[in-house]
Amino acid sequence: MNTTSKSKSEKKAKGPIRTEAVVPVILIVALIWGYFHFFFDHHLRRGLEFVGYQVMGAEVNIEELRTSFWDASLRIKKIELTDAQQPQKNMLEVGDVRFAVLWDGLLRARFVVNEMAVDDIRIGTPRKAPGKVKPPEPKSDKPGFIEKESEKLKNEAVDQAKKNYDGNVLGDIASLLGGESGQVQLGKIEGTLASKQKLQELDKAYKEKGKVWDQKLKSLPQQKEIQALGDRLGKIKSKDFKSPQELGDSLKEFQSVMNEADQKVKVIQATSGEFNNDYQQIDKDLKGLDDLVKKDTRDLESRFHIPKLDAKEISQGLFRQYMGPYLAKIDYYQGLFHKYFPPPKAKKESPEPDPQFQPHPRAKGVTYEFGRQNSYPWVWVKKVSISSQTSSSPSSGSVQGTITDISSNQALVGRPTVATVKGDFSANGIRDFLGKMTLDLTQAVSLLRFEMSVGSYPVAGREVVQSPEVNLAFQKASGQMAASGELVGMKDLKMELKNKLQQVSYEIKAKNPTVQEIMRKVFLGIPEISMNASVMGTPPDLKLDISSNVGSELQKGFEEQIKKKIDEAKQKIQAYMNEQVGAQKAKLESEVNKYRAQVDAEIGKLRAQVEGEKSQAQSRANDSKKRAEEQGKQQIQQQGKKALDDLKKKLGF
Amino acid sequence: MTLLLKQIFAFFRMLNSETATNQLAWGFSLGMILGFSPILSLQAVIVFLLVFFFRVQLGATLLSAFFFKFVAYFLDPVSDQLGRVVLESEGLRPLFTQLYNMPFVPLTRFNNSIVMGSGLMGFLLSLPGFFVFRYLVLKYRATFVARFKQTKLWKLWVGTSFYKWYATYNSMFG
Repeated sequence: MNTTSKSKSEKKAKGPIRTEAVVPVILIVALIWGYFHFFFDHHLRRGLEFVGYQVMGAEVNIEELRTSFWDASLRIKKIELTDAQQPQKNMLEVGDVRFAVLWDGLLRARFVVNEMAVDDIRIGTPRKAPGKVKPPEPKSDKPGFIEKESEKLKNEAVDQAKKNYDGNVLGDIASLLGGESGQVQLGKIEGTLASKQKLQELDKAYKEKGKVWDQKLKSLPQQKEIQALGDRLGKIKSKDFKSPQELGDSLKEFQSVMNEADQKVKVIQATSGEFNNDYQQIDKDLKGLDDLVKKDTRDLESRFHIPKLDAKEISQGLFRQYMGPYLAKIDYYQGLFHKYFPPPKAKKESPEPDPQFQPHPRAKGVTYEFGRQNSYPWVWVKKVSISSQTSSSPSSGSVQGTITDISSNQALVGRPTVATVKGDFSANGIRDFLGKMTLDLTQAVSLLRFEMSVGSYPVAGREVVQSPEVNLAFQKASGQMAASGELVGMKDLKMELKNKLQQVSYEIKAKNPTVQEIMRKVFLGIPEISMNASVMGTPPDLKLDISSNVGSELQKGFEEQIKKKIDEAKQKIQAYMNEQVGAQKAKLESEVNKYRAQVDAEIGKLRAQVEGEKSQAQSRANDSKKRAEEQGKQQIQQQGKKALDDLKKKLGF
Repeated sequence: MTLLLKQIFAFFRMLNSETATNQLAWGFSLGMILGFSPILSLQAVIVFLLVFFFRVQLGATLLSAFFFKFVAYFLDPVSDQLGRVVLESEGLRPLFTQLYNMPFVPLTRFNNSIVMGSGLMGFLLSLPGFFVFRYLVLKYRATFVARFKQTKLWKLWVGTSFYKWYATYNSMFG
């Protein structure tokens, strides 16, 4: 009885394995499975929609999303990307996206996709309800240094662009024909001329400089001092030396005069050098003033909207407004790319990236890739096949394309990302669309090359010029375009664009009947418009160069009527500039030159005098030496002769 | 939550008893590894499985992991530097390349400087940590618990019928 009770009361000794943990573990596994089976797809769909909204700045919707653990696959049906400009439409709609991740890669914490399929692409489809558009982010009250600097640069670029392209050439021509710009009110701008202000500053500065020069001239050796030097030289004995001591004293005196003359020459040379520096600065200032005068003249022409009747200028003025939205898009996408793909941190000592060792800066610590050739990078989508067939939907299109080698480490994969897409959106009138893009991050400096062409696309109601004087729009046309370019280091853009519009019907409205008539005649004779543009620079500071056949046609059309008026206005501005700046500038230049000549003459004279005294002292010292030598020789000869005679006498000869 | 609280109460009971010193010391030690490792990593999963399947005091592990998570957070700059030194070491590059391209090993996220640095600290300190924690538990029992049991308050508490009922319940179902 005792033994039984003891055995009951004593607990059984437990081993090191916790057998009772099996049930909780099974429970936890079941909970995890339950979450992934019932809730994960929904949460992932919501998460992707949220991220899409944040990145694209407009609502993103996903109709269905399915994942499979065993196949490591994902299928997304009907992705709708709202068009931020027109929220009632989708910018892009993708019917089906499916891919499977390799388990082989997943076990190595890599995401490797052999082939991803993207089907049923549509553009501009109407939405059931308008999509939400993200409001612009509020600016912080105290921007950092980088924000301030970038904002400053951006504003400068925008200001420059405004200066270059503000207004429009047709509006200016119409104004001038109407006689508005011809009445140039030059009196009001007197105080704002930069060249005039500069001229006044220079005048004041030169007057100050003149005083300094006078002081310097006074500090130079004066006439009396040079004369005194000459007098001193005249008093030095240069012949009939009675003893070598006397000769030595004279030579010392000559040397002292020469040294003094030397010092004076040095002072004159140094002052002359200072004057030369001043002259160079004056030349520079005057050249700068010339540039300012030219700039002021240009500014005045631009201020009074004097159009340049040049085919190139007309083309630039006409199509700048037309190109604006495209340039803004380039800027937007470049910024977006920079935000999500910051440039890699390259080591200073090795410009070529090491494919086997790539650090990626993170919020916490640094994550390194220890890749080796042909191993998996962190993310690698080997191929994306894009296809879409025309269906009954008016927004559907026939699209075929591939994107190869999207990877997190191109250096490791050894291949750039290449995308090729071609197709037609017949219902929208877009035919023979071809896009090619290569993103090469295998080198130290990234390179994005792109080519795009559209065989035919419709143009309807596109405004080209909209001003109070003139309205010009392409009512209807059929377009054709080809663009190619490259973006180096994700900042330096070079792009060529060739655009052709055929069967163009125009809408022309002008206040001035003459302008209306000329434009009607000109545009009637242009059934086909070609517009070639080249864009170069770093967004947003892009240099745009546009040429078009419209420019030369308009130039011809307006030349007769307007050339005289333009010349008159230009002459008026030129005369005004001459009156305001020219005469005063010429006066200043002549004063400066006159003073300069005086100073040069004075210095030259002093220098010649001092150098003359110096050379005279030198020559007299040399003469004295020669004479003393000859005198010495004669004395020795006489003494020798005398000694010989004495010797003869003593010997009785 | 109940399971968690139960484990923590069990920890305090065990700490104040005379048994399971090693279980507690291992709990603290493995908790230290957990604290120094990221939660979503292979090593954390392995440590969790060890704690589940071996008789290691779970409450001690959880409390230790909670405490050392803060320590690891404050040591992040040190861990980052240590991790960078190790990961950028030329001599170890072939080993890391081998490990990085093996299955499962990259799931430890060893290629991150902070994970590598704090992981190294956690693993290296865990074994000496076991002995230190063991010593501290014994010392605690010998000094604090023994003294506390001599206090009048404790004796008064032990004399209550509630305590006797609890002691009986604990011996039967605890």
